Amino acid sequence: MSDNSQTTKVASKAARLGLSLDGWAVALALVLTLLVWLGWIKQVPW
Amino acid sequence: MASSLAIPASEYQGNIFKRTLQLLPGLLLLFAVGWTGKFLEQLIGHYGKAHHLTLPNIEYVLWAILIGLVISNTIGIPAAFRPGLATYEFWLKAGIVLLGSRFVLGDVLKLGGVSLMLVAIEITVSLLFMTALGKAFGLSPKLTDLLAIGSSICGVSAIIAAQGAIDADEEESSYAIAAILSLGAVALFTFPLIGHALGMSDTSYGIWAGLGVDNTAEATAAGALFSDTAGKVAVLAKTARNAMIGFVVLGYALHWARKQHHPEIANKAAFLWQKFPKFVLGFLLISGLATVRVFNPVQLSSLANLSRWAFLLTFAGVGLRTNISELRKQGVRPFLVGAVGELIIAGLTLVLVLGSSRFIR
Repeated sequence: MSDNSQTTKVASKAARLGLSLDGWAVALALVLTLLVWLGWIKQVPW
Repeated sequence: MASSLAIPASEYQGNIFKRTLQLLPGLLLLFAVGWTGKFLEQLIGHYGKAHHLTLPNIEYVLWAILIGLVISNTIGIPAAFRPGLATYEFWLKAGIVLLGSRFVLGDVLKLGGVSLMLVAIEITVSLLFMTALGKAFGLSPKLTDLLAIGSSICGVSAIIAAQGAIDADEEESSYAIAAILSLGAVALFTFPLIGHALGMSDTSYGIWAGLGVDNTAEATAAGALFSDTAGKVAVLAKTARNAMIGFVVLGYALHWARKQHHPEIANKAAFLWQKFPKFVLGFLLISGLATVRVFNPVQLSSLANLSRWAFLLTFAGVGLRTNISELRKQGVRPFLVGAVGELIIAGLTLVLVLGSSRFIR
């Protein structure tokens, strides 16, 4: 299952930067939320 | 184990740029596949309207998964694309946090409360049933436990978390992951069909998908394939299930530590925190902020759309990482145990959801 080992590798690399994969995902989402709230990201189309 | 993997911080930081570049091809492929799915959905919709035809509305979710499946199982995925593709779980978790903006905390508590009750029943029955089934099929005790954990809580993440905790080997966790992923792929296409055939409401179906499909990415996709609202509810139910991961893995870790005479886990609270999926907290935080009206309607729409873009990459990843021939190589017995177990769990959760449907409308 090479794809699973890739996912595990990404997770362990993320952890080495001080946060788990979960932590980085939460951090990104919160930064994006802050940018939207501050008005730096005006409108995201879909 | 951890020390053998450790890399000095300076060496790692020096490689950050290189490592980010390594992610690019896979990220671009995820985006290209996801965007093509979205484009095809719109194209068919416009074509139908322009020519006054009633064409089936095939959602971008299904297109993205199908295109990914075709690429992965025909031309294959070159090695250069794999690191970027493996980020699909990262986008899934970021998308779930952002999805919090589409829930008022009251709904989270109501639906989450019902889901948590159903989750408790589902986890107990799944663990007992999968353990008995593993024994009946003569699987090793650790593989049996990994399958039980994977099918009762949250698929691949739970198996990876449990692998270290119960000291299972790579091969056993590979078998368990393969079984869970194969069955997730089957559930992706069968759950929406059953939901429509039974005339389930968006909420009931969403809870069923969140409880019955093991891996978070597949549960999210199975929900979104039914409807947008069902996708939202599926994520909420699945998140309630994911929140249990620490407790179940801790239970198994203690059981195996005693069985193998290893020293017990000294700090159980720290262990629980380490295994707890942090995106659940992020989801609740954003939902709380939306509830107290921190965001205006335009901002809420932007956050919801950011969540959709993150899920778009996830759905593309679900298709691209599913390689049928690789899954087939993992052997029949773990798959059979998983299949029988999943069938029973899907049936049980369906009965639970239909039984409690008057509380969750």
